[in-house]
Amino acid sequence: MAQFKTKHGYEGLLIVIEGTDGSGKSTQLQLLKKSIQAQSYGVIISEWKTSRLIANVIDDAKERNLLNATTYSLLYAADFADRLENTIIPALKSGFIVLLDRYYYTALARDVVRGQDIDWVKNLYDYAPEPDLIFYLDMPVDVLLKRIIGTTGLNYYESGRDVGFSSDFYKSFEIYQNKCLEQYEKMKSTYNFISIDGTKSIDEIHSIMNFEVQKILDSGVLY
Amino acid sequence: MSKLTEKHNYKGTLVCVEGIDGSGKSTQLALLRDWLKSTGHDVIFTEWNSSELISQTTKLAKKKNMLSPRTFSLLHAVDFADRLKQVIDPALKAGFIVLADRYAYTAFARDVARGVDPQWVRNVYNFAIKPDLAIYFDIDPKDSMERICSNRAPKFYEAGMDLKLSNDPYESYMIFQGRVIKEYQKMVDEFGLIKLDAMDSIHSKQVRIREMLREVLNNKGVNI
Repeated sequence: MAQFKTKHGYEGLLIVIEGTDGSGKSTQLQLLKKSIQAQSYGVIISEWKTSRLIANVIDDAKERNLLNATTYSLLYAADFADRLENTIIPALKSGFIVLLDRYYYTALARDVVRGQDIDWVKNLYDYAPEPDLIFYLDMPVDVLLKRIIGTTGLNYYESGRDVGFSSDFYKSFEIYQNKCLEQYEKMKSTYNFISIDGTKSIDEIHSIMNFEVQKILDSGVLY
Repeated sequence: MSKLTEKHNYKGTLVCVEGIDGSGKSTQLALLRDWLKSTGHDVIFTEWNSSELISQTTKLAKKKNMLSPRTFSLLHAVDFADRLKQVIDPALKAGFIVLADRYAYTAFARDVARGVDPQWVRNVYNFAIKPDLAIYFDIDPKDSMERICSNRAPKFYEAGMDLKLSNDPYESYMIFQGRVIKEYQKMVDEFGLIKLDAMDSIHSKQVRIREMLREVLNNKGVNI
């Protein structure tokens, strides 16, 4: 059988789920983890902004509105570097399937919306390994807005209020999320996102993802 | 395009001092600051790794040896970006003379000595404002070590112990700081750093620095 080659050269698999807030990423990651585990593969999940080095500093700085666009970008880049070096790459080297809730595409979307030069942001992440699969949960903005308002509510940075789009909270939120979606839209073809309609049922989305993952597993790459 | 290679248009003046530990840069900057203040100028001082946002975190992470070359570089960039936007940029707009103890060149020297790609770290800092005067105090590693380690061993990151160059902190310091100095020396041409011999007397260095600053200020129509 033709051996599938991982895109990054490590033994494990790197699988990413991207999408804006409220698009259902974490639910899908948990389901995917279960179905992969059931087949006796080693799986770990790593989420955006969870490094032991810096995650709490970011939370604290956000709470106190201390961040400008540049420090915002750099702090997330530091968080990413720490997780990549201490969690993701060691796991890939030992043959794990690493499921990531957001990857640097999130930074590209958010930082560019905050006015950063895209090449400057790309440079920050240019050493990151290329994922084997990137799922993108595509949500129409009106559904997304309702979902977020109905669950977590309007958060300061997720509404882009730091950028100053509008003094009206809802308006600012709508503009910010729309601009993020625009950025994701641009990245779809550049990075080969597998774009999935996020309004489909949880089960439907899961089976699409599972099908794609299974194709790779069946190629025997992890034997 | 990097702002570091373009002349700025601010009313104020930016002066930075560079060099490895023990090269005497802080002493010179303190003397300069007192002089400028006594002659009635608006002066602001800012130093490396001192931002409210991140400096404590970085210091703690250093103490616990938690940093890789990449995260070391990024955390210092956070610190620099915070001070640039909060302190340096507003002060320059208001017409202050800003004295910076270390600047982006410190990152270029140290991070590259740690194996970080030179172009990568230059790109990270491409938002930094070009100083009107950037002085580099050249010293060899042995003289620097004698000055700073007279009553203590070199610290983990300062000696580059993270690079596993040697198990002996003194020997590691010599090798690592030797690399840092090489990077600084390259930047004399690349960025027009003005090189002074750190082993010259305090007085003669201060005379040179005041001369150079006077010229910069006179060109901006400021008499001193």
